[in-house]
Amino acid sequence: MEKWDVVVVGGGPGGSYAAKTTAEQGLKTVFFERGRKPGEKNSSGCGLGQRYWRDFPDVMEAVTKMPSFRKCEMVYINLIDEDGRLRYRSGTNGSDLCAARIDGNHGMDGANVYRKDLDPYLAGLATDAGAELRTSVLVNDVIMEDGRVAGVKTDKGDSIQADLVIAADGAISTMAKKSGMRNRWEGGNTLCAQLDFSCDEQKMDDVLGKSNWVWFGALAGAYQVNFRDGFHLGCGTWLDENWDTDAIELVRRVTRFPAFQAMCRAVDAKPREYQAHTLPWLRKPPKTHMAGMMLVGDAAGFPCPLEGEGIWHALMSGRAAAETAAWALSKGDVSERALDEYDKRWKATDLGKEHEFGQEFVDLWYNSIFDPDSMVEQMQLLLEFSMLHPFSIVFDWSDAHMDCFNQHLDHLLELAPQFSDFGSKFIAPMARGIWPSNVKRILSLVKPRVPILRNLSDEAFFKVVSKLSKGLAPFLNPAAKQDAPLPRGSLK
Amino acid sequence: MLEPMKIDYKSLVKRVDADKMGDFISYDEEKCNGCGLCNLVCSFKLWSVKDGKARLAPRYQELCLECGACWDVCEPEAIEFNFPAGGTGIIIEFG
Repeated sequence: MEKWDVVVVGGGPGGSYAAKTTAEQGLKTVFFERGRKPGEKNSSGCGLGQRYWRDFPDVMEAVTKMPSFRKCEMVYINLIDEDGRLRYRSGTNGSDLCAARIDGNHGMDGANVYRKDLDPYLAGLATDAGAELRTSVLVNDVIMEDGRVAGVKTDKGDSIQADLVIAADGAISTMAKKSGMRNRWEGGNTLCAQLDFSCDEQKMDDVLGKSNWVWFGALAGAYQVNFRDGFHLGCGTWLDENWDTDAIELVRRVTRFPAFQAMCRAVDAKPREYQAHTLPWLRKPPKTHMAGMMLVGDAAGFPCPLEGEGIWHALMSGRAAAETAAWALSKGDVSERALDEYDKRWKATDLGKEHEFGQEFVDLWYNSIFDPDSMVEQMQLLLEFSMLHPFSIVFDWSDAHMDCFNQHLDHLLELAPQFSDFGSKFIAPMARGIWPSNVKRILSLVKPRVPILRNLSDEAFFKVVSKLSKGLAPFLNPAAKQDAPLPRGSLK
Repeated sequence: MLEPMKIDYKSLVKRVDADKMGDFISYDEEKCNGCGLCNLVCSFKLWSVKDGKARLAPRYQELCLECGACWDVCEPEAIEFNFPAGGTGIIIEFG
């Protein structure tokens, strides 16, 4: 029987990056793709965040030269009320300080490319490193030996042995199912419908520029990822008891927004392709490995718990799994306990840091914009909040400016009881993520304003506050780490 | 709100070798509780419920998007979802 050090199932970003890394470590690696070429069975938003420049700079350099590339420096948020009126449009923004967060001033440089450009490039990195790619092959079963995964079977009738299997076979992971690790996601999976439009490139440059868009309306929401000469409209939500419709209806709801139709006219948008895929969006990734096998990317449930992006997470986990494979095979131990090392490794990266707040991030969405019952209320709240920003006050000419301000404040205070309930349940829990150093700086701004505190040393002042506030005490404990909850850095 | 944009979604899906995809969705009528969630989530309504049991359109391969949502929502786990044979089925050019 054919035998490899490592068999990787799946030629998407996670599989290709794992295969690249194991091949670089000198392991004899083969990886399988069920499409005729990598990228033709995949759909996703495919917006690549700025942090790729830190974690995968070579990939990002190549991405900027791909045919479908459009740079993304901003995300515009559009809020639509129940009558279809565009009530609020705002952009994420940045500054030189933001740009400087990543070497080479890349802190504002996101990128969008289609998977037909990205995936073959990533697979090429793996084959260049010495891994063998087999396309048009569906891996449809595992070989089990003494309770451990010892290889895979294909739809061509081949059985292939491996010292270790890395399963990067997506949200519906055949490897996870057949090995008995998991069956359905049971409520943690979302269904995303994506409608792709072709557009006039020049008009996109003029109207959309270097941006992505997000649409929120009553019972409708979508992300819009802009590529060189087209864009995706992607809509999705959790497949659970709140689900009330089919996937196409989610898209249809957004196409009813007058502002969406206007934007389509402005860029000559024409529907080009329709896709649907599931995406695990979890509070916590479940079991990631068993004897002889590790799951990476969507198969492991790694997509971001705050915004559902999953390609960076696939690359990060693919790299961590591959490095774990090299470590485990050098020790000759692929038991489940040995592969606990995989969890240690990914948790020590920014991927782990992201999932440290999975519960809070998912709870926030699940109970606001994605909850059909509270969505309308939350929209109202967001709209009233938006009335209070400085530009609303300056350009509201319905009354004397100070009166305008007070009227908006009045509206907001009307909604305060509802907001305070929501805020204490779903926003306050995230406060544990604030850096202790920042909490101290905020408190230090208060100190000089209070006469009896003014002359205390910082140390004495923080002691007093710790005594007065249980909530603040953990931040002010001298032993508290001063920056992030987990050490920064990634496996390089 | 305006009327939704008129779009023929079925015409916006491409496949290769649709006749060679094989039977990649199966279901166990014994386990089916007739809830109809499989059809609710399906983009192209390839399921139906008759006499308290789900039925899959006989030529589902011609329209199925291979998303697997029907498998994921099936509480009694009556649906088994695999993938079409390697190199066949949906082609995504702009994904």
